[in-house]
Amino acid sequence: MTDMLQVAKREIKIGLRNPWAYSFLILFSVFSISLLLVNSQNAVSGYSAITGSMLSLILYLLPLMTLFLGSFSLTGEKEEGSWQLLSTYPLGTLSFLIGKYVGLSVVLLTIVSFGYGLMGLISVLIGKVFDVSTYLLFFAFSCGLVLLFLAIALFVGSLSKNRWQALTFSVMIWFFTVIGWTTILISVLGLLPYLWIKPLLVVLTFLNPAELVRLFVVIKLGGGSVLGPEYYEWVNWIQQPGGSLIFFAVCLAWIGCSIAGVHWIWERGRSRG
Amino acid sequence: MRSERRVIFQVLAWVLLLNLALLCIAPSVLAKSLAKDAGLPSPLPSLQQLVDRAQPGDTIVLTEEKYAGPVIVNKKLKIDGRGTAILSNDTAEAAIRIQAAGVTLRGINILQHPAGGESAAIAVHANEAILEDVKIRTAGFGILLRDADHAAIRDNVISWLPAEDTADTKLGQKGNGIDLYNSHHYRIEQNTIAGMRDGIYLENSHRGNVNNNRLYSSRYGIHCMYVEKTQIHNNQGEFNMTGAMIMGVRDIHVYDNVFTKQSSNVNSQGILLFDVQNSVIERNLVEGNRVGIYIELSKDNQLIENAIIRNFIGIQFKQAEDNKVQANDFVANVIEAEATNSGENEIHGNYWDSAQGLDLNNDGISEIPYAINPFYQQLIAKTPAFQLFFQSPGMTFLSDMYADDREHWTTDSGPRMKINPLSAMPALSSGDAGEVKVLSDQTFILIIASLLLGTAIITIIYSGVSKS
Repeated sequence: MTDMLQVAKREIKIGLRNPWAYSFLILFSVFSISLLLVNSQNAVSGYSAITGSMLSLILYLLPLMTLFLGSFSLTGEKEEGSWQLLSTYPLGTLSFLIGKYVGLSVVLLTIVSFGYGLMGLISVLIGKVFDVSTYLLFFAFSCGLVLLFLAIALFVGSLSKNRWQALTFSVMIWFFTVIGWTTILISVLGLLPYLWIKPLLVVLTFLNPAELVRLFVVIKLGGGSVLGPEYYEWVNWIQQPGGSLIFFAVCLAWIGCSIAGVHWIWERGRSRG
Repeated sequence: MRSERRVIFQVLAWVLLLNLALLCIAPSVLAKSLAKDAGLPSPLPSLQQLVDRAQPGDTIVLTEEKYAGPVIVNKKLKIDGRGTAILSNDTAEAAIRIQAAGVTLRGINILQHPAGGESAAIAVHANEAILEDVKIRTAGFGILLRDADHAAIRDNVISWLPAEDTADTKLGQKGNGIDLYNSHHYRIEQNTIAGMRDGIYLENSHRGNVNNNRLYSSRYGIHCMYVEKTQIHNNQGEFNMTGAMIMGVRDIHVYDNVFTKQSSNVNSQGILLFDVQNSVIERNLVEGNRVGIYIELSKDNQLIENAIIRNFIGIQFKQAEDNKVQANDFVANVIEAEATNSGENEIHGNYWDSAQGLDLNNDGISEIPYAINPFYQQLIAKTPAFQLFFQSPGMTFLSDMYADDREHWTTDSGPRMKINPLSAMPALSSGDAGEVKVLSDQTFILIIASLLLGTAIITIIYSGVSKS
């Protein structure tokens, strides 16, 4: 436990001294303020195409940022040799990984909080006030995205040998899950028997954190009906009082499984030297 | 909007209670009186006798609890049930048949048991009838008007009386709530009608006014056939198959109505216009329907300032042309507009929430036309499961690459930049908004935002900047 906290502390320190973190912080702040301006032109609360496009904009930036910072941090350990050094200490791989995860999520959530805090303050100052629940949902949406993509970032970091590889993988995964997802799924599922499409789509959606979190927020914003009668049970499921808790549990399971996977890869590497 | 919902609930609950009460009272009273006067031909006081004894112009006040129908009123009378009298009818005749002009019915509760044919609780065959505060439970029709002009029908409650042996009657086999044929200059106001075939059915009846009615769970809320010069306004419909079915009409004015949640059937619509000419449909709110407004074979109509929100299809044209669609608000519709075999409709100056506009001369109208990309619509028509991708970033990306046959897309020549402030209001009611707030939004956001920013800055300074 103390090991884990030590690793996390070190990670926070390194993370917040990393110029990359600040460039992302500035980018995200500028970006969230532009979101504010987009939203303030027409005050429609609840789900609409405006909130939909805001979700898309967040979906473009946050996963990319998370994947870069997360995977670079792990490959950095390998490249700079600090992992080789740490391996000589009595430090469990799991403590190391969880420490890394916690530390990185603190760094990323700091960036996100800074952006949202700034956006909230400016919105109050210029008198364009957000609907509170929409604001909080967007914040929760961003945090959820960051935490889920960080788990993927750890995967990328442990599989790649150096930063260049990590960069390539990250961009690939980002493109696949965020932009190419629809195109690829439509083309591939279109070849399959009709009755398989929906179940497969559901399973695949649970595997793609970007879609999972997006759909949750769409339904929470009251836009469940846009998904059509095919997904009524989902909408009921999320809108019931315990729906958010179930979603939270799904996210935890997701992160848990990924860290277990990363742990396995990392252990293999350790035992083979 | 919230308080309005509460009112709706109260009305519904009240109707239900009333029905229950009627159901409970009816058999027990019937049994009691049967036991008391066993052997007598008519156990209940007959309203017909009272009517026969009265002089034209009299007012009959019903003091007993229960009366037997049917009744034929053939002179000008006023019958007042004071809200408590129950008229029960077991014959196929109408419980009350009005054959003289100027009859007033007020505060009567009617149970019309027999089904089938045109069996109705009240049949009006004379002019200038006034029906007020009448509560009807019927297994047939509610109120029938035949060749009866200048009728005033207000504050009535009509609902379906299920037969004891059948559990569920199909909507199409039920009777209509209020049914007019060849009856002109009517006023139908503030009635509540639930669970019937058509809430209000108007045929060949012109120059009337239908307003402030509440129509629930029926097949069609308001159904117009061959009607002219009629005003339909401030009505409210929910959970009907179709809110307003307007067919074969001309010169009518439909405004300020609210039709929501008409989506239970594959043919559900908020407002359907079929063979409608020269009519004005304005300031209606259609929300959460399968199709918001459906227009077929109609010409020269004006659809203005309607709020079309969260429908599966916002507006659908079929063989409709020369209609003017202007200053409407389209928000969060899955498919904003769809047109098949339709000629030129003038679509200009509407607000589309997904349009990217550019207003160069600051007149509130975008200089870039908005063409509605049909890619997504075609995709989900083929595979409905793909509706999950609605407005996902990948879908936007894919749609943008598709620009085939662009000149045939439904296009708004100059979309409006800003939403009508009135339509922004109902949108607030959905979603998670609307909880009781102790703090104002502004303070709340201020607190949260400062907390977030503060925590972030402290973390950065503590671990990033300080040397330790």
